[in-house]
Amino acid sequence: MRKVFAMLFLAIIGFYLFNTFALIPFGKNKMNADVAASYLNSGVQKTGAVNIVTSIVVNYRGFDTLGEVTVLFLAATGMGALLFRKKPMQRSRQNASVIVKTGARILFPLIIILGVYVFVHGHLTPGGGFQGGAIIASGFLLMFMSYRTYKVNHKVLSLFETFAGTSFVLLGLFGLIWGTSFLANILPFGEANTLFSAGIIPLIYIAVGIKVGSELTAVLDTMLKTVK
Amino acid sequence: MNTLPYFDPALMIALPLLAAFLIPLLKRASERIPKFVPLLILGFNLYESIALLPHSLQKPIVVIIAAWQPPLGINLTIGPLGNILALIISLVGFVVAVYNIKFVLEEPGEKYYMLFLLMITGATGMVLTGDLFNLFVFLEITSISAYALTAFIRDRNGAEAAFKYLLIGSISSTMILLGIALIYASTGTLNMADIAQKIGQVDSRITLAALILMIVGFGVESEIFPLNGWAPDAYSQAPTPVGAVFGGIVVKAGVYGLARVIYTIFSFQGVFHFILIMGIITLLMAEMSALRQKQIKRMLAFSSIGQMGLVLIALGLATQNAVAGGLFQMFNHALIKPLLFLSAGYLVYYSGSKDIGDLDGMGKIKPVTSFFFAFGAFALMGLPPLNGFWSKLIIISETVKSGYIVLAALALTGSIIEAVYYLRVVGRLYFKSPEEHVKTKYVHASAVVAMSILAGLALFAGLFPDVILHYLQPAARELMDKTQYIQAVIAIK
Repeated sequence: MRKVFAMLFLAIIGFYLFNTFALIPFGKNKMNADVAASYLNSGVQKTGAVNIVTSIVVNYRGFDTLGEVTVLFLAATGMGALLFRKKPMQRSRQNASVIVKTGARILFPLIIILGVYVFVHGHLTPGGGFQGGAIIASGFLLMFMSYRTYKVNHKVLSLFETFAGTSFVLLGLFGLIWGTSFLANILPFGEANTLFSAGIIPLIYIAVGIKVGSELTAVLDTMLKTVK
Repeated sequence: MNTLPYFDPALMIALPLLAAFLIPLLKRASERIPKFVPLLILGFNLYESIALLPHSLQKPIVVIIAAWQPPLGINLTIGPLGNILALIISLVGFVVAVYNIKFVLEEPGEKYYMLFLLMITGATGMVLTGDLFNLFVFLEITSISAYALTAFIRDRNGAEAAFKYLLIGSISSTMILLGIALIYASTGTLNMADIAQKIGQVDSRITLAALILMIVGFGVESEIFPLNGWAPDAYSQAPTPVGAVFGGIVVKAGVYGLARVIYTIFSFQGVFHFILIMGIITLLMAEMSALRQKQIKRMLAFSSIGQMGLVLIALGLATQNAVAGGLFQMFNHALIKPLLFLSAGYLVYYSGSKDIGDLDGMGKIKPVTSFFFAFGAFALMGLPPLNGFWSKLIIISETVKSGYIVLAALALTGSIIEAVYYLRVVGRLYFKSPEEHVKTKYVHASAVVAMSILAGLALFAGLFPDVILHYLQPAARELMDKTQYIQAVIAIK
């Protein structure tokens, strides 16, 4: 009875929400609205980044991104605190077959390079710090799954994390010192479509990429270690 | 009046983040450093919010971030309301950080300080930001650190409480996000002042849905009646200072979000009656539940929900005096509830049990802690010379003035129930004979300092309510009349 009631209730809410969202013409061209229009029309000239999504995420709304990086940092810290053990734990998996091990050894550096490529070119091509970081972590995951004894040094990871996190905030503070406001761009835009363009955007994305990569790797390592 | 020099207000968020990122590194230099980091940073925030106050009282301060004009980029909009709440948050955070110095912690200690600092930073960001999506990001920062801190002791009950909180909290965040999506899709902007200006032209069916989603979302953090199931568990299972911060800070940020949404962003008249009714239900349900509790921290948690009910009544009345009274109530509660939690934490530690029944006679063995608890209880109940009296008086007399005699009677009933269960505990502390197996440890000096600051401020607010109200009236005006808030942001364009 309670379940039926709950399902009915959910159905009513869902129907109501669906109808409300149906009132909004999603997918239609609404780009003449002022905020979105100025992102599209003057984004490249004013931020130097040809990837408009990146310019919005890292520059126009860079403060949100700093917040999102903090959210991920919190998730990793919180998990580290809750799964803390005095004695280090081990992964329960057995070693994988020779084929997987050999393949993983060859693929691992390539995956890392791809990840670095994705976050370094965040202002030019689709992708960016979060995606590049996730790719790097997936490379480490492959190694964890293939080799039972593959170890990462958590001290080194947390050093990377601290370095990347503080450089994001410091870049923001430099904007306050040498520019007009927190997170303001202080570097020349350079020539659009080249690697050295878009001011501080690539620097922030490199910091984000390193941070996300090291955090997710630490999270994966902690979560895979389940037996004493 | 001489004004203090102030720094860029963005530092109130940037510095805590920087410090939190640096804590793992500082810990390698010395194990003792991390616990002093929140103290230092929150001390800075406290100074900054005091220095900003004279300026924000004149007109809202708009802080540009990343050099973009308001609707394009994110900005902080610091009006009297945001500034006063930031002041309260930094103050309570600072006091609890003092208490933390000697608080016995399990490993990994440095993570506790990181989470603690970020939880307070999130709440500060929520009250300072002028951007709706940014508000959501800071809400996430606050609540994710709150989930982790709830389970920090790593026992079964803590994990259960944290998981419950996580489920309810995630649903509430999703609802807020959906509401923001609706608003952004129909106004094309995320700046709160800009939205407030454009919301009138939007289809009222969309605004209503967005409003409902946001009230439910922020209702979880501000502990409105059917959405507060997480609170008693989370308050009682979390480490003592964290429980104090939940009551003193996290709830306040949630109520701020709610007030900002219903007063500034939307202009729906009907919603105030709804808030009023939910307030009275929240108050009565919480006070009656508190009466039945056997554990002291659960009782404090329900009492906290009840106080929020009173604040909601004030917000629902929607007159300037009532809103000022509600803010005064929030101010008082932010001082007293941490005081009660911190002293109750010591009482629990002495008796070795969470039950109220085991606190018999503590007043004779542990006079200092018991005094602070009794003081807090009297202040919260609203005994005349103390601060709780004035805020309750304003709210109830405004309820009568607005013509809701029955509601005023119900609110008074709630206050009487509150007096009953607090006096019951205080009575046990002083008029029962103590048991033998009490630990004979003294209260740490840092805890006494922390509790004295809170009690001293509560006493001051009780003796000179006009001084406090002088600052709260402009904050209430900011909510009642949103034109100044909008103007300040538009003027930057």
